Amino acid sequence: MNCASFVQTEGLTKVYSSGKIQLCALKNVNLTLAEGKFLGVTGPSGSGKSTLVNLLGGLDTPSSGRIKVQGRDICELNKEELAIYRRYQVGMIFQSFNLIPSYTALENVAFPLLFAGVAKRERNQRAAEMLTRVGLYPRKDHRPAELSGGEQQRAAIARALVNQPKILLADEPTGNLDSITAKEIVKTLADLNRNQGVTVIMISHEELLLQEFAHEVIRLRDGEIVDREKLR
Amino acid sequence: MRMSDYIEQSFSNLARRKLRTFLTTFGVVIGIGALVSMFAFGQGVQKNMTDKFKELELFNCVNVFPPTMQEQSQPKPALSPSAALRVNSVEGTKEEPQQAPVLDDDLIQRIGKIEGVESAFAEIRFPAMVRLREKERFSLVQVLPADVCQSGLSKLLAAGEPYASDDANSLIISDSLLHGMKIKDAKTVIGEQVELSTLRFDPNLLSPAAIASIMRGDEIPFSRESYTFTIVGVAERMGFGGSMPVRSDVFIPPGPSEKMKKISLTSIWDFFSAAAGPGQAKGYSMVTVKLSSAKYVQPVKQQIEDWGFKTFALIDGLKEIKRAFIFMDMFLFAVAMIAITVASLGIINTMVMSILERYKEIGIMKAVGAGDRDVKKIFFFESGVIGFLGGIFGLALGWAVGVVINQVANYFLAKQGVPYTDYFSFPWWLCLGAVAFSIVVSLAAGIYPTLRAARVDPVVALRHD
Ligand SMILES: Nc1ncnc2c1ncn2[C@@H]1O[C@H](COP(=O)(O)OP(=O)(O)OP(=O)(O)O)[C@@H](O)[C@H]1O
Ligand SMILES: [Mg+2]
Repeated sequence: MNCASFVQTEGLTKVYSSGKIQLCALKNVNLTLAEGKFLGVTGPSGSGKSTLVNLLGGLDTPSSGRIKVQGRDICELNKEELAIYRRYQVGMIFQSFNLIPSYTALENVAFPLLFAGVAKRERNQRAAEMLTRVGLYPRKDHRPAELSGGEQQRAAIARALVNQPKILLADEPTGNLDSITAKEIVKTLADLNRNQGVTVIMISHEELLLQEFAHEVIRLRDGEIVDREKLR
Repeated sequence: MRMSDYIEQSFSNLARRKLRTFLTTFGVVIGIGALVSMFAFGQGVQKNMTDKFKELELFNCVNVFPPTMQEQSQPKPALSPSAALRVNSVEGTKEEPQQAPVLDDDLIQRIGKIEGVESAFAEIRFPAMVRLREKERFSLVQVLPADVCQSGLSKLLAAGEPYASDDANSLIISDSLLHGMKIKDAKTVIGEQVELSTLRFDPNLLSPAAIASIMRGDEIPFSRESYTFTIVGVAERMGFGGSMPVRSDVFIPPGPSEKMKKISLTSIWDFFSAAAGPGQAKGYSMVTVKLSSAKYVQPVKQQIEDWGFKTFALIDGLKEIKRAFIFMDMFLFAVAMIAITVASLGIINTMVMSILERYKEIGIMKAVGAGDRDVKKIFFFESGVIGFLGGIFGLALGWAVGVVINQVANYFLAKQGVPYTDYFSFPWWLCLGAVAFSIVVSLAAGIYPTLRAARVDPVVALRHD
């Protein structure tokens, strides 16, 4: 395994065509990232940050180019194989948390294990462990509506990591949080990155947070990487 | 995903929208309930009829009739050329009997010698006034040989037993006639004396004076004769389309019948032959032949038809009856199918609604690693569970409806002396089939919503609002 290219994209391009208008959300993006890094992604609105992360997470497929994760081209996977990739290789968190409102925190965290075919007892046990790790165990029986934004995002992080993925993709995880909570969340991600060796790719508009926690930051504009900064 | 998880998930997802799930399932319950009760009714009627026929060994019977009047007096050459041709080709080799064959005692003896024939008896019925416990009722009396009474009628006896010999001065009375006389308990009349008064058309009374009295309305040209019998048994009236040989209210053995002065009333023909005097008898209007087994029906029929008579066997009519039942079943099925179709539209509606509501949830499922197949199965199981619950409760509803209608029908029919009958039958295949059908229909209704759920694009579903 070449650690220098744990995640690698080659000529990654995504074109959205609605009617006659063609919109190039990503243009020829070449990116390499070593294992265990914390990568920050920033850029103005509409620059293609979410598009990039969705492609890396296997939620979307590129118009052209390749994405290699651990040396394997995920663009060649069929739909079912891509689902398995999402299940075990990557975890995703979002700006709006995307927890299921009718489920408790514990049920939300245990949800991905359902598709992994894990038995109910073990599902609950592993979900409880993950909640403990993000410091939310005492609130395990609360529904999302009864949790603060920071707590909801912690539950989302626990859910993303419950299947022990190698990569954590975060699309503006702090966008809906106040600055103090935002910092706590990013610190949690940085700790997971440092202690568990999870590779983190995080989109954020907050330059200060990126400067404080990220190993590298890339800047996108109009679907192209315009700058790559090594911080540590 | 595990099987148990799919089941648990679908129940808990359905429980989230209790009212909607209840209403949708209720639609299925009504559809399946209608289907079950209608099929049970169709089955019940069919079962009743064939069971009763089998019990009475009616399938082992052949009825013999004299050739029809037209055939007896057929003017041969006066037919149109084509009809004449047809007649010739059909009857080409067969010799036309010179005289019309007659259904008489001689024939009954000849029939009795055919292989497989257990007994043959003429159907003799005559009107009589039945007098019991100071009450009088006008009724038809049927002459039934003792052996037929023992083999066929004994199964219908509500009380008592069949008469033992052809010469006994005993009779069997129907409970509907007793009912008409307001006698409730059938057992109490066993052993009681009953008086039969026959009417006889008397040519001697046809004097001008008698005719004048008929005109005045105070005298009729019949003479009355009374005979006393002992009641030995009470027969139940048949629940369904009573066919021969038991369709009268009073049965007597042939011995005493021969000594009675009476007019036979099986047909208007008998009436005139009786009026013309005993010497001019044209024979019986019908002879019933009992066979030891249904397999002799065809050969015996053939033999008797070769002698120039007409025959009828109920077993031939069975095909017609079965066809009528298929038609009835199809009609009931069509009605129930309308209910089922409406119910499946309800399921489609509910599932599509549910998918629109859980659009984001489907996106989450996919983001955390659910494949299209997992998503499809989750929604497919939900439709299946609606179908399963609808099937179970629909079966219960159909059964309950059947029981209630059965009780009500029997309550009213009992007043007319009809014995208790199950008009609904729930064979095991109907119960299993109803639940299976409900599940299959619900799954079919779930196909389109399920495909829609699987097509949800997670990127669109998860884009923050
Ligand atoms: N499904 C789609 N159909 C058409 N155009 C799309 C679609 N998804 C994204 N786009 C377009 O692609 C471009 C990049 O979108 P993307 O969501 O990646 O931007 P972003 O950098 O995440 O912006 P933001 O910071 O506002 O989240 C935008 O111009 C957007 O309008
Ligand atoms: Mg975005």
